[in-house]
Amino acid sequence: MIYNNFCEKITFFLSLLILNNYFLISLEFPILFLKTNLIFIFSIILIFYFKHFLKNIPFKIFFIIILLISLGTPTLEWDPRSIWLFHAKRIFIENSIFSVKDNYAAFSHNDYPSLVPSLAASVAHLAGHWNEVFPKLAFSLMFLPPIIFINIYIKNYNYLIFLSLIFFFIGKYLFNGWADGLLAVYFTLSVFLMHKLISNNFNLEKKNLFLNLIAILFFVTLTLIKNEGLVLLVIIFLITFVLEFSNKSLKKNFKKIILLSISFIPIILWKYFCYTNSLGNDYINNSFLFNLELRANVLENYKLIFYFLFLNEKFLIALFIFLTSFFILKNNNLFKFVFLIALTYSLILFIVYLSTPYDFYFQLNSSATRTIKSISFLFGFFAIYNLSLKKNNLI
Amino acid sequence: MFELKNKKLFIFFLFICLIQLFYIFNFRSGFKYDVFKDPFSINSGVMYALPIEVIELKKIINDKNISKFNLSKKLQTDNLIYQRIIEYNYPNRFENSSKYFISYKNEEVDNNCKLDEIFIYLKLSKC
Repeated sequence: MIYNNFCEKITFFLSLLILNNYFLISLEFPILFLKTNLIFIFSIILIFYFKHFLKNIPFKIFFIIILLISLGTPTLEWDPRSIWLFHAKRIFIENSIFSVKDNYAAFSHNDYPSLVPSLAASVAHLAGHWNEVFPKLAFSLMFLPPIIFINIYIKNYNYLIFLSLIFFFIGKYLFNGWADGLLAVYFTLSVFLMHKLISNNFNLEKKNLFLNLIAILFFVTLTLIKNEGLVLLVIIFLITFVLEFSNKSLKKNFKKIILLSISFIPIILWKYFCYTNSLGNDYINNSFLFNLELRANVLENYKLIFYFLFLNEKFLIALFIFLTSFFILKNNNLFKFVFLIALTYSLILFIVYLSTPYDFYFQLNSSATRTIKSISFLFGFFAIYNLSLKKNNLI
Repeated sequence: MFELKNKKLFIFFLFICLIQLFYIFNFRSGFKYDVFKDPFSINSGVMYALPIEVIELKKIINDKNISKFNLSKKLQTDNLIYQRIIEYNYPNRFENSSKYFISYKNEEVDNNCKLDEIFIYLKLSKC
């Protein structure tokens, strides 16, 4: 219990400080504040490591190994270079997330939210200069809050299975400067927290202030990682709303849902900034409907999307363990909640791919395995979580 | 009995995690010992990540103290080279109206431009 509270507090303060870094840069605070904030982040990580030194040793060692691998990995691929680290470099040099309003280098998707780049920029500030390797540490650091948090609910060898899922589904995305791994983990944990706070039957958890605050912090983080994060959070809220309505418990939870929806405020402000500065999105433009109409009538296109998204070994393994877990240990509410979220996101992915302004095949080939990662990890995680519930006799 | 089973499972999954971590490190990471030896130096990892022309262009820009530069059509139309130039040279910016014109060594340059210097892969002209 003591260690649970400890993990809860560490998660809360780490998430808060990561978001605080973003808000400090947004409000153009002097660099001294950013450095101080980052020193607080490192202090909390040290507290996590040394306060309960013998707890969670495997993860503590794995995480150090991941940081060391990150420090030996050049930034090779397009997304990390052209989007995330380039934005981080701009933030580092201009000390503002709003420098993108000139839309310089439009290929770098200036409309993408800057939470991770702003943390990478602060890491560079702490070192005193920019390079292409160590700011990537920010990506790994951002995995800490959700991975520490889940240790409250999943313990012993089940926690090792959870880490094994992280290595299997997220893999090199833990350190190579891509945001898709972060998106998958924060999305899954957001679904988990929404389940805990709304559809769960344990009132004690629902009323836990830290849990509610952590949920808001994770939701905000999810929306500020990538544009997809906003879509994913909307889906989570939508499915929650629909299920609560169908279970006739919407009235009971309505206030809570409204309260949690304040998490949308930072991304709405960012999108407003993008809109007022004409920072567009490649996907939502005049050709959206045209491309959709053109491709939607061809059956082959659906087959191709299906092939790239779902005939992927990691997705199939995740689906298999998810179905097996819920077949062995029935938990209809949780199954329905997770499955509907995954289904809705899959439908949206179909629409996105059908309407892409880029070459259809190229788009699928270059991004499908990344976009389906969120669903694969979601299935994998809830399969393990469901089994651990039974083990603790909580079903 | 139950404790022993738990312990065995713990060791088993610990072993699985270690194998996965080793796999990621060895086959998926692109880890370079050279980079690891000095991850905080300004040019760390650059030799592995960037085409040689892009590195040369940065050197030209730094040596000549150029803040805005123009690029030849050939450099602009090659997406890989163009995007890497933009990223790597920031805060020095690409601007069509700049008098500093950079092209490949063997590329024809407009008559209005005066050749400034030829380098290994590129040349600098003033227009």
